[in-house]
Amino acid sequence: MPRQSLLHAGRRDGRRPYFYLAPAFLLLAAVILIPLLYALYLSFFKTQGVNREFVGLANYIDILKQSYFWASTGRTLYFTIVSVAAEFVIGLGVALLLSQNFKLRGFLRVMLILPWALPTVVNGVLWSWIFNTSYGSLNGLLLEAGVIDNYVSWLGKPFLAMNCVIFADVWKNYAMIALILMAGLQTISPTYYESAMIDGANVFQRFRYITLPILRPSILVCLITRTMEAFKVFDIVYTMTKGGPANGTQVISYYTYQATFGSSKFGYGAALSYLISFVILLMALAYIRVLRGKEE
Amino acid sequence: MKKLLSLIALVLALTLCFGGCAGTTEESSSTPEAETSGTENADVVTINILSSDDFAGFRTSVIPEFEATHPGIKINFQSVGYDALHQKEVTALAAGTDTYDVVDVDCIWTPEYVTNGYIECVDDRITDEMKTGILDVCMDILRYDDKMYGLPMFNDLFFMYYNKEILENAGITELPETWEEYDQVCQQLQTSGACEYGSAYGWAQAEGLICYYMDYVCAFGGSLQDADMNPTINTPENVAALQFMVDSLYTTKTTDPASITSDDRNAIELFSQGRLPFCINWSFAWGQFNDPTQSQVVDKVGVMLIPGHGDIRSAACAGSMGLAIASTSQHKDEAWEFISFLASKEIQKRQAIEGGSLPIWADLYQDEELLAQHPAAAEMVEQSTMAYNRPSFVYYNEFSTVLQVEIQNALTQAKTPEQALADAQTQVEQIAATY
Repeated sequence: MPRQSLLHAGRRDGRRPYFYLAPAFLLLAAVILIPLLYALYLSFFKTQGVNREFVGLANYIDILKQSYFWASTGRTLYFTIVSVAAEFVIGLGVALLLSQNFKLRGFLRVMLILPWALPTVVNGVLWSWIFNTSYGSLNGLLLEAGVIDNYVSWLGKPFLAMNCVIFADVWKNYAMIALILMAGLQTISPTYYESAMIDGANVFQRFRYITLPILRPSILVCLITRTMEAFKVFDIVYTMTKGGPANGTQVISYYTYQATFGSSKFGYGAALSYLISFVILLMALAYIRVLRGKEE
Repeated sequence: MKKLLSLIALVLALTLCFGGCAGTTEESSSTPEAETSGTENADVVTINILSSDDFAGFRTSVIPEFEATHPGIKINFQSVGYDALHQKEVTALAAGTDTYDVVDVDCIWTPEYVTNGYIECVDDRITDEMKTGILDVCMDILRYDDKMYGLPMFNDLFFMYYNKEILENAGITELPETWEEYDQVCQQLQTSGACEYGSAYGWAQAEGLICYYMDYVCAFGGSLQDADMNPTINTPENVAALQFMVDSLYTTKTTDPASITSDDRNAIELFSQGRLPFCINWSFAWGQFNDPTQSQVVDKVGVMLIPGHGDIRSAACAGSMGLAIASTSQHKDEAWEFISFLASKEIQKRQAIEGGSLPIWADLYQDEELLAQHPAAAEMVEQSTMAYNRPSFVYYNEFSTVLQVEIQNALTQAKTPEQALADAQTQVEQIAATY
């Protein structure tokens, strides 16, 4: 419907809508479109400082042959799947809990959002101190409680470090999922539950046949945004581990950053960015298909 | 729904608020003059400087003097942490804009910056006094193909600091001279409860790791490049050096395991709190250890030679930095004025006394006043005669990235030292072939 009315407005008023849209469009073009196109152009060049040489698709082919690329893609997938799954499960649980009527609900809702309000950089620094081997509070707590006998180097082992980074990411981002799902839950009329209860549906059946189907669009929105964000993860890795130890947390965005700014291979970095964007685009398309499919 | 909306508004407000805080603490200081530069009259030239935060405090403190004697020049001084410096400089320089007139160049970046045309040759600006008076070892860091590309700002290398009080209380009178003796002393201190660990290093996956590794490599008689500038990573000496580092984590247990995730600043903090008997660090650490506002070990710090191995008495990784003029600068003469001011004998002497650095001028090493006011000068000068430079490959950053990862593979016991260095050699040879 809205699309049609816009079309009519355009026919009636000629160029007027374009006039109104121009400032926004120019701004977006300056900060997004031009850099985007320039990066595409750059990705066909081998750069050496200010000098560049046209190499066609060589950068892309080079990337696909690099074992570092595939290893960091694997790590990124692990990060994405584990963090989004954990955030979703916790977020849904918290949303259901905070939709119940109880005394401290308002206060708890505010508390819930606090971690999400922290900039990721602050969150990363915070957790790298908590995980610090010699004077981190986690080691202190676990030692006092008798869970461990010696301080654990949480960020000192590649796989453990990856999971600690995921933990820090989940701590911050489950709140956003909970928030969106809470909003979704408020759209469900209590009468559905009442009539289901009269028909004898138990709590699981009510969740499965009422809550879940109505919540589906909200769930998809959460999953789309979180998956794409998790796939692009950079800042928390930069502040907590800098890709270490032994590349254990070197995700694809961090690899791109290192190749671009560490080794000054701007063309190679631009090509990498385009490959990442391509994967994210595929994800978005897949999600949209799922979303549309369910609606029809 | 209304409630939820107000919640979201609150969150957004909080985010903005925190974001604002993060912005101001993350980015670094610039002089207050910088803000007003836009409104100055047209005769005044503003020189934008991007500097590492080593000695940034000292540099900021002498800017007013420079501006007083050079009324036509305003200095806009910015400093960032070392690990962010290269990225920030390369982004600005490669874009070809004149964001910075003066950039801070680490010795390992010179080949890259010169071959990429980022920094300006200064051969016709360097005076005869500079040519003969400044130590060659300092000039070398900004020399490429026999041309000079800036001026060194200090003669920096790793020093071994020790806490006199901890050693005295433990009855240790003889300072260890070899790495083996050093480990024994650490173990002795640890068993007596004087400290939890004898050493803590910055062995995180960053450039600092290569510097620490260099100390061992050179003490064990190894080298990372041969005379023809080819990488020689996988040699028995280098393997032995790495094995020693691994053993200090898992066998002798004298190294704090947190070293694998720490940078050299973490070690400075531990040492400043009096929790470490020894600390290998750069010269700016001296100033921090003796600053009562950030240290509990003021006047308790000594400098000794970094341990050696076999016939080699000591080996320290060198790591001087210098200032250079960006090729894109519109005010090269004024930029040079400021660089040569900081490099001048008078300022260098004050930087040594106030900041603890070693000066670049040869005759300052005999300066009575300096030696009298810098209690560790004699030991530092002795160490500077046993300093080694990291390899100067054009592809140094890529070399370093590979080596950092492989050393960490050994330090986390994912690979044996032999395997890690063999893998590093293969990868670096592949990189070298593309240049």
